[in-house]
Amino acid sequence: MTRDRETHGIRAGVRRLFKLPLFTRAAARADADAELDAFLAERVERMVRAGLSPADARAEARRRLGSPESDARRALRRSAERRERRHWTHQSADDLRDDLRFAIRRFAKHPAFTATAVLTLALGIGANTAIFSVVHRLLLAPLDYPNGDRMVMPMQENDRFRGDSRFERRPVGGSVIEAWQQRARTVEAIAAASESMFSLDSDGTVDTLTSAVITANFLPMLGVKPIVGRGFTAQDVAPNGPPNVALISAALWRHGYGGRADIVGRSVSLDGRPLTIIGVTPAGLNIPLSGKTAPDMWVPGDVRAASSGGSGSLDMGPVVFALLRPGVPVDAASREFQEIAASIPHTAEFGGRLRLMRAQDFVDARAARAVHVLFAAVDALLLIACATVANLLLARAWTRRREFAIRGALGAGRRRLARHVLTESLSLAVAGGVLGIGIAWLALRIIVALRPPALDRLAGAHLDNTVLLWTVGVSVLTGLLFGSAPAAFAGLHPVGDVLRRETRGGSAGAASHRVRSALVVLQIAASLTLLVASGLLVRSFAALQRMPLGFEPRGLAYADILISGTRERRLAIRDEVVRRLQSLRGVRGVSIGVMPGKGWGGDGIETETDRLGHTGSVPVLGTVMVSPNYFRVTGIALVAGRLPDSSPPPMRPGSWSPEVLVNQELARRLWPEGRAVGSLVRPTAFPGQPPAGWSTVVGVVNDTRMPGESGDVAALQVYTLYPYAGEVPLVIRTGISADLATPGIKRAIMAVDPHIFIRPILSGDTYLRDGLAPTRFAMALLTAFAIVALGLAALGVAGVIAYAVSQRTREIGIRLALGAEPRSVVTRIVARGLRLIALGIVSGTVAAFATSRALASMLYGVGAADPLTFAAIGVLVGVIALLAAYAPARRALRIDPAETLRAE
Amino acid sequence: MPLLKGTLDVLVLKTLSWGPMHGVEITTWLESRSGGRIDVTDAALLQALHRLEERHLLAAEWGVTENGRRARYYRLTAAGRARLRAESSELIDHVKTLTAILTARSAEA
Repeated sequence: MTRDRETHGIRAGVRRLFKLPLFTRAAARADADAELDAFLAERVERMVRAGLSPADARAEARRRLGSPESDARRALRRSAERRERRHWTHQSADDLRDDLRFAIRRFAKHPAFTATAVLTLALGIGANTAIFSVVHRLLLAPLDYPNGDRMVMPMQENDRFRGDSRFERRPVGGSVIEAWQQRARTVEAIAAASESMFSLDSDGTVDTLTSAVITANFLPMLGVKPIVGRGFTAQDVAPNGPPNVALISAALWRHGYGGRADIVGRSVSLDGRPLTIIGVTPAGLNIPLSGKTAPDMWVPGDVRAASSGGSGSLDMGPVVFALLRPGVPVDAASREFQEIAASIPHTAEFGGRLRLMRAQDFVDARAARAVHVLFAAVDALLLIACATVANLLLARAWTRRREFAIRGALGAGRRRLARHVLTESLSLAVAGGVLGIGIAWLALRIIVALRPPALDRLAGAHLDNTVLLWTVGVSVLTGLLFGSAPAAFAGLHPVGDVLRRETRGGSAGAASHRVRSALVVLQIAASLTLLVASGLLVRSFAALQRMPLGFEPRGLAYADILISGTRERRLAIRDEVVRRLQSLRGVRGVSIGVMPGKGWGGDGIETETDRLGHTGSVPVLGTVMVSPNYFRVTGIALVAGRLPDSSPPPMRPGSWSPEVLVNQELARRLWPEGRAVGSLVRPTAFPGQPPAGWSTVVGVVNDTRMPGESGDVAALQVYTLYPYAGEVPLVIRTGISADLATPGIKRAIMAVDPHIFIRPILSGDTYLRDGLAPTRFAMALLTAFAIVALGLAALGVAGVIAYAVSQRTREIGIRLALGAEPRSVVTRIVARGLRLIALGIVSGTVAAFATSRALASMLYGVGAADPLTFAAIGVLVGVIALLAAYAPARRALRIDPAETLRAE
Repeated sequence: MPLLKGTLDVLVLKTLSWGPMHGVEITTWLESRSGGRIDVTDAALLQALHRLEERHLLAAEWGVTENGRRARYYRLTAAGRARLRAESSELIDHVKTLTAILTARSAEA
């Protein structure tokens, strides 16, 4: 019998390449046809030999078939196809089971190897998974509401302040929203919400609460239903009048009303107006992305009321949400909104560009960059882990070449051997992935705990299905990646060579060694790149900490309070609060104004026309409204001129105070020749508005920066005196740590009037810490990854050198036996490693040079190509790698010459 | 004589216990053994062979007959041999029981 089953159209080699079972469908049919034809021919021939005429024999053969030939043929083709299909599935399942069983047995026999490989992979995959869940949460995931992926916020962005979170963008308010509501076709609905303060009078007690004016469609858009009572309807919105009904928060219901069941229908007095409570909202319900504490009460309003920002709070204004129609891309809606806005007079003057933003677009740019860098870093780390395991596997493949050669000689094809090696790799990768999920869980807890305030949304990051799917994908890809090289070499060892003799110079061995060396170079290069990045961040962080801020944050406390009542009452209470605070022990000064570095943006500035007819102007700048002693309290130094008089300035609506100060940057911009003091300036009037009154620049003060802000150009600022009432920002200078002074400050304010609403007090130390947090976050994680990477690279170097030693055991033994100096033997071996190390450092430096540019925007006070960092990291990597090479090289000294010669 | 349901498979296994054969050899062997009394169509036999091969009871390979023709040769696998033992003893028991019952002399006979 000759084997010729592979003669049906497809060449044997091709069929093996594509791993066709025996046959394709067509081949199975052809096989069935051939079988039937052969069968009939044999029948006929036998009958002819027995004496029948060929025609009779053919007729008899057909009769014996029992059914028409075409039917029989069809049936046979079907049964052949089914047979081949079954055989193929069985075969693959059997092979897989065999390979798996074999792999597991081998792993159990080599626990040290298995543990090293699995742990390395787990580190790589775990870090990757943890950072991917961060990326997923921050940059990919929409709002956590049923319609979250369709909700966008129209914002105006100002390129002048790109990268400056204070002025970069602001919400859109006013008539343009009504225009969108009426005319936009790309959205289903527009809802708005804005926070404001109310004093609540219920059952004889007065309390100041945060409340929010929301449009009737706001809660339905979020997909939120009241837990008690009903939500707002269009009828609840009183046109041009105060609301009559309210929803209260679950917290207020529980603490203010004892959670009583008959809450619906109760009347409360809000700022003296009676309101009927119609329901209770679910616990924790807040205005999405507002970044403020959840409101205690919700009242209905039309879109104009809800988007005009009740109290003019200092941080974020109103929040406007548009719900995109299903399938409408954000860009299309953005274009429509822009067109509508452009058709309305006086809206384009804001000096910004309209953009519809999704939740994931709100991530602070600096923080987003940090996340991108970290993601790149974990990818590099995973690559290093792959290289490490590939190296281990290749080294092992060398020691297993005898096994492979024998299996090959016994009939296992190269493909079968390669598949076997890949099964091993994949099972290692899966084990690494499973352990990696554990590591990722742990790492994610740490990352969430370390998160900077700008990344608060991270608190909700967890290993959800998307993330786990990612992990599975990464694990499989990893297994294929690190398994491919060993798989390619699996069948390369010629059986004769291996069985006859220890072959060293075999081509497969040399190729495998070259791949291993290349992998080590890659490891060194990649870890050097990571280390340089982390080194640059460490230096930036140090520089940021030393950066002059233009004021003294330590010992400052910033309290934002809200006082209700008539203007006279508010002013009286404000002055009393300032007096009380000033008399507090440890308090050195109290001024009114925001924490330096924070502030409003938006006004433009223009100067009077000078004798030459020149007028200076800046379209947008920061306006800081302060009391006269603000500069003394905050420590902002006067550079030229004088501080303003300490008399309270009269109000001038639409204008600044008669005396203003400018910061150095603005002075340089408007008066390059240095004649700022004494010049007249005024805010640029909006079109259609009368021009504002003039103010005199009486002084120039130092530039201030937000901690952690690394922009090279300081913000342009004008300081105007402002008689705050109602919402009063207080900056307090304490002699002790501001954190310690906080409770005393709170008590003193409450002592004046218990109903004053105090927003959380910000200490200068916290301000500093929060500002530096994104850099610290990126630095800490990147450094951790870089250290792991260096460890893996060291492992790689040690592995290659150990391999080289084991390879040349005999040679070294002979050298030692012939009296070679042990030190020179070690030196020779280390020198081999030195070439790889040098190559790794050089290529790593080139890679680091290319990639550190991507870091440039995160760096401060250090260049992306900082020679000191590069040199220090290069030396560090070199020393660690040499140590890693030295350890196994020393093992060569323990080689017993007599024994190696006997082994011959 | 038409074949009882399910007995063709075991007869084929039995036939092949003598060694590898191709289709015509199998059917010729069965014919001569039964004295021409077993009536199996060739189509049914070939399908039975495929079915048995699908269940790994037979293995097949193309070969060349003594007449110099190509033919698909079938041989018994270890599993096929085990199946033959089990089924034939079962069948023999069955036939014995049936024989005992059907050949019993009835009271009136």
